[in-house]
Parts: sequence; structure tokens; C-alpha cells
Amino acid sequence: MPIIKAKNLSKRYQQGNKTINAVDGVNLEVEKGDLLAVIGPSGSGKSTLLMLIGGLDRPTSGEIEINGVNIAKISDAKLTNIRRNTMGYVFQNFNLIPTLTAAQNVEAVIAKRTSHDRKRVMAVLQQLSLDQRAHHLPSLLSGGEQQRVAIARALINEPDIILADEPTGNLDSKTGEDIIRILADLKTKHGKTVVIITHSEYVKKFATKVVEIRDGKITPTR
Amino acid sequence: MFYLRYLWAELTRRWSKTLTVTFGLAMASAIIIVIISVSQSLSTAQDKVLNPLQNVGTDIIVTRSVDAENMAAIDETSRNDMMEDNSIGMNLAELGDPGEAFSKDNFMPGSMLTFDAAEMDNLNPTLVKEAAAGLIMTVMHQEGTVPDITVDITTGGETFEVNEDIEPMTDGERAAQDAARTKAEAELKERGVDPRSHEGMEYMRDAMDAAMPERFRQKSMTFVAPSRTYRQEVGPIETNISTGNLTVAGVDTTKTDIGLILPGQVTSGAWFSGADQVIANKAYADKKSYALGGTIELGGKALTLVGIVEPQLYTNTADLYLPLADLQSMSGKADRINIILVKSTNAQSVEETSTALEDAFVGAKATDSNDTAKEVTGSLVNAANLTNRFIGVTSIIVIAAAFIIVSLLTVFSVNKRIREIGTLKAIGWSNTRIVRQVVAENIVLGVFGAVCGIGLAVGAIALMNHYDISLTATVANASTDSPFGFARRMFGGETDASNSTTTTVQLTVASTYLTMLLGSLVAIVGSFVAGTLAALKASKMKPQEALRNLE
Ligand SMILES: Nc1ncnc2c1ncn2[C@@H]1O[C@H](COP(=O)(O)OP(=O)(O)OP(=O)(O)O)[C@@H](O)[C@H]1O
Ligand SMILES: [Mg+2]
Repeated sequence: MPIIKAKNLSKRYQQGNKTINAVDGVNLEVEKGDLLAVIGPSGSGKSTLLMLIGGLDRPTSGEIEINGVNIAKISDAKLTNIRRNTMGYVFQNFNLIPTLTAAQNVEAVIAKRTSHDRKRVMAVLQQLSLDQRAHHLPSLLSGGEQQRVAIARALINEPDIILADEPTGNLDSKTGEDIIRILADLKTKHGKTVVIITHSEYVKKFATKVVEIRDGKITPTR
Repeated sequence: MFYLRYLWAELTRRWSKTLTVTFGLAMASAIIIVIISVSQSLSTAQDKVLNPLQNVGTDIIVTRSVDAENMAAIDETSRNDMMEDNSIGMNLAELGDPGEAFSKDNFMPGSMLTFDAAEMDNLNPTLVKEAAAGLIMTVMHQEGTVPDITVDITTGGETFEVNEDIEPMTDGERAAQDAARTKAEAELKERGVDPRSHEGMEYMRDAMDAAMPERFRQKSMTFVAPSRTYRQEVGPIETNISTGNLTVAGVDTTKTDIGLILPGQVTSGAWFSGADQVIANKAYADKKSYALGGTIELGGKALTLVGIVEPQLYTNTADLYLPLADLQSMSGKADRINIILVKSTNAQSVEETSTALEDAFVGAKATDSNDTAKEVTGSLVNAANLTNRFIGVTSIIVIAAAFIIVSLLTVFSVNKRIREIGTLKAIGWSNTRIVRQVVAENIVLGVFGAVCGIGLAVGAIALMNHYDISLTATVANASTDSPFGFARRMFGGETDASNSTTTTVQLTVASTYLTMLLGSLVAIVGSFVAGTLAALKASKMKPQEALRNLE
């Protein structure tokens, strides 16, 4: 069973009297442990597709199954649970909470904290070589460090799926490649399913699957 | 607790936002506290002036004043009594011998006619709970030197001598004289009468007189005019008499909670405790530089100044206050009073009591708080009227405006965080958790704002009180009437315009806990309500939309 399965997935936006088909009848299957690279021109609907997969938005029509559950129809509370336990998000502009330190940003994800959690947070930060930066505010961190904090935050709840929307978009190419390697490691070393939207050719080296989106539709690639 | 650490981090690490919002909330609640406090203080000050009766435990003042209408209602005898009361008989001749120094106080009840204290018995006990008598008199003080009021003119007593130069006798005349003598001697001899006898001498003299020329026949004489003294009154008296007016009130000392002045209004010194004591109005004592314990001469007595009072019954103030009995005996008005202060049995029945009193006392006027209020004008009344209107409409606007400011600030600060809220949703925060976080933060901001607002308000009020804001109220004073005012009123004229008391009321702004509570509630409730609504709205947003929010 594919961990992610989209069936005729569509998202339309109404702008005035113009209908935008941001995602238009997408059929997609991602197996557990895959690394899916999504490519496509700007405005083609990549981010929209990722939001639908991640349960951050609901489709206009079609189905999206995560572990066999159609999340298009479930309640907000259940969707929140799925977001918290199954998904880890990494954004282009990091989206860290500016008033919280690196460690606190990671900690924020944990709903019911135990005495054990502090150690877990530090372990994840250490895993991403951030142990020296744990108590810094985001504004004091470099872009690469901020993105690594975001990855640590995505990992703390040990989700099955990591979704990254242009995680290297705000980074220089060298740092970008570091981040891609970290995400690729999550797949290879930790068996996570990773979906990366990217313009970077570097991702293709690690990708098990590449889809290209144009005008909301998947066009077959190699 | 993570959520407290997050809360604290939000407040301290976004300190400029925290300060802005706190300051905004503080301003809003301070404005409410200050405005309401000022309005309340103004109306308290106004009440004190507009309803001075309440300051002396009184609902109604009963007086019998002189006006054409009242006078007509009073019977002939009483009217004459009253006229008598108000006339000053000043016989200069009684003051002493000319050149002697004198000092005299004439007591007049002014426009408030005196009546027998026994009339107090007319008060209906079912309507009147308590009553105090008073006697307010204008004292015309005169002092100087007794003038020479007459001139004695004594006439007569002089000796008048009339001397005339008479032409000497001519030879012819002398010859005629001799001839007349010779002839007379011869005639006497012929009759056998001795010329040296009495009869002979007379005969001789007559004969010679007859022969005397006409001009010698006039008598040469001396006379003394009878002495007569005329006493004539001389024209305008030129004297060094100086006169001065002051008002003296006799206070019913048997009452301590109702009266022209009350023991509690004595600001320094003490209440009456013995004979020959006087209490002075602060304004008068200041003007005259009287000191406590000093002596004030009044009505020929040396009184000891035992207390300084700030009378609260502005409409009937006096310069000096004596126990009623003392003033009655000093002014020769035994058992007479001219004002009764009445406390009604029932606050609701004041008007009814007023009417009943006017019926019971012929020609009397019952004055209640509505009437006294009408007599007051001045900046205090204007300011208070302004705030009364203000309290009605504008305070609602101010509270609403403050509420809007608070809400806008809150909504603004929540909206700044829409994207952050989207992130929280993405990482699995439930709506409840998000709302709780944001609302808690806004409650804390609201409390900060309220506390600072109270601080600001207390500071602003202290500043206002530091710069003495005083307001004036002018009260037409019924008791300190001059005899001229009296006379004018006798003929139905207007009250002497200059005869009014201007009371300066120091505006002391005081804020009550209730006002502070109201002011702080606007900040707390405002940020709570607006924060909750904004947070609910933000949490209901799809994370997709929240994340795309550009703010
Ligand atoms: N909330 C929205 N309301 C209206 N239109 C939207 C909304 N979100 C996305 N769109 C439109 O949907 C289309 C797809 O947008 P999307 O962000 O998915 O593109 P993208 O492929 O991620 O582009 P980029 O590479 O620039 O990030 C665009 O035309 C965008 O304007
Ligand atoms: Mg995009």
C-alpha cells in the first residue's frame, strides 16, 4: 500500500470570475521510503499539491490517502493529529517562531511533554549539529542553521512523512546541498518518506521518483 | 510549562510591541479613569455649592423676607414691628459729650425679618424631623468722636451809649433862658413860693425847659440790651465717624447636626464652650487678620475668638458667629429669630413640607435645594453642567473609543502573527491550544495596560491637584443685606447686584476604586474580547492561507 495516494486530486481557486486550477486531476502514488522530487515552473501548483498531501489544505475534489486514510474528508481534529504525528514540514522561509530559541522551536511541537523530552530535543539538535546553537534565537542563526532547526522540528515527533517546500530556496547552493543531503539521509538512514519541491538538480541524484507539474497537471518525466 | 515560557518569550522578546500595546491600553484606561474622576469630582463640588443645605443637615430654610408681596401679607402690627426692627435710631447726643470717642454697633435683621422664637412651635412634627433656629443680623458699626452738633449764639447784654454833639446856645437863646428864669423867679415871688422849695424848683425847671431851644429837649440816655442766647443746629455734621457693615449670626448651639454652622466645619480652634465667645468666618478672619484667642469687640462686649469656621451654607453666611442667646441679648432682640433650618422627616416629602411651612408661617419663604441651586452661577456651574452633559453622552463615546483603540491594537498585534499561527497549525497545534496561547498573552497585556493605566491616571490626577484648579460659584447672599438693599426691597426693587458671595471651590479630583476598576476593565476586557475574537478567527484560517499570509 502506498503511503501517499492521490486520486484525481484537484484544487481550484476562484479569483473574481476567473477559476484557477492550481492542482488539476492529479493521480500520484508514493511508497514508504520513497524520495519524491516535485519540479515545475513557478505558479504551476507545486506548493498547493504539497499542502494537500500534508493536510494543510483540503482539496476541491478528489481523494488524498495517507496510510490508506482519505484525509480529504476527516475532521479538523483528526487532521491536526495527522499533521502532528505523521507529517514533518520544512518550508522555504523556515517559518521558525522568532521569539523562541532553537530548542524551544523544536519543543513547541511536543503536545504532552515528559521529563524525557528535553533530552530528545537535544538529541535531535545534536543529530543536526545544532547542539551549540540550541539556545539561540532564530535571528542569530544562519540560513542553513535555521533550516536545520526546521528539520529538527519536523523530526521531533518521528513522523513517517517529511514534506519540504523548496527547502533550499533561500540558501546558497553549498548550504542547499547540505540540506538536501540531510533530507536524503532521512530517507536512506531512517526510512522516512520524503517529498521535496525543488528547482535543484542536486535532488535528482537522491530521488527515487521525480514528477513535473505544469498548470496543475502532472506531466510524465523520464 | 511551555506555554508560560512561550508567553513570556512573546512579551519580552517583542518588547516594543508589548510596550506599544501596553501604553495604548494604559492610555485608554487612564483617559476613562481621569475623565470619570474629574466629572465626579465636579459634580461633588457642584453639589456642595448647589445644595449647600445638605452641608448643614438641612432640607429647607424658613425665612421671612422683605418684599412687597410678603409685606402685604403681614398684618399691620407685625409690619410695624418689623419696620421698627430695621430702623436704626442714632441719637448723636446720646453718644456722649462732643469730642468724646465712641464706638457703637447697631444690629439690624436686614432683609430677613425677625419673628418670635415661639413660632418654632408651629412646626409640624410629622413633617419636620429636626429644626434649628438662627438669627442673622447686619451690624452697622460706627465709631469716632462725638461731634459738636450745636452752635450757641448769645445776643443782647451790650451797653449802648448814645452821644450827640449839640450845638451850643446862641447869645439870644441864652438871653431868652435868663429872661425865662428871671420871669419865673418873679412869678414865684409874686405867689409867695420859695424858689428853693421843691415846688419852686420844679416850676423853675419847667419854665426854663420851655424856654430851651428845641434841640436841647432831646434826652441823652444809656441802655443795656437784654442778654438772649439762641441755639442753632448747624448744617451737615462734619465728623470722623466711620461706619462698617458686618454680618453676625446667632447659632442654635443646642443642635450639632443642623445649624448655620456645625462643629465639624470649624477648621481651626474650637466650638463654643463658654460665655463671650465668637467664631469667625475664615474669609472674614483673614481679611481682618484676626488670630485665634484674640479679642473682637462687638456690641460693646469683648469676645474671645475661639474658632475659625468655613461655613458650608453659602447662601446664608455671616462674618461672625455667636451663640443665639448671646446675639439676641446683645442686639436687644430677646427671643427673636429670623431663620429656621428644617430637616424634613422624609427626603421625598421635602416639597410637601415646604408648602406646609409656607402656610404655617405667614409671609414666610421656604427655600429648598432647588431654590438655592438657582441662585448659583459661575465657572463651577458651567464646568459641572458641561460635565453633566459630558457624563451623559461623551463618556460613552470615550469608553467606546477607548474600547475601539484597545480592540484595534489587539487585533493588529494578533494579525501580525497570522503566519506564526499557520506554522503552529502546521506543526500540529490544535485550535484550542492556539487560542489559549494568544488569549493568555492578551490578558497579560490587558493587565499590564490596566496597571499602567491606573498609574498614569493617578499621576495625571495628582498633577491636576498640584496645579490648584479652582472654580468659582457666585451665590446671591440673602443675609448680608445692606439697609439700602432693604429699603430698595421695601419698594419692591431688585436685590443689590453687588451683594453676592463668590465661593471658590477647590477642585479636588479623587478617583474611586470603582472608577479605577472601570478603567482597568476596559483594558482587560477589551483586550480579552478582541484577543479572543482575533485568535479564534486566525485559528479558523486554513494553515495554507495562514502560511501564505505575507505579513
Ligand atoms: N489561496 C490562493 N488563492 C488564490 N490563488 C491561489 C492561492 N494559492 C495558490 N494560488 C494560485 O495557484 C497557483 C499555484 O500556486 P502554487 O503556490 O501552488 O505554485 P508553485 O508551483 O508553488 O509556485 P512557486 O514555484 O512560485 O512557489 C498559482 O497561480 C497561485 O496564484
Ligand atoms: Mg511554491
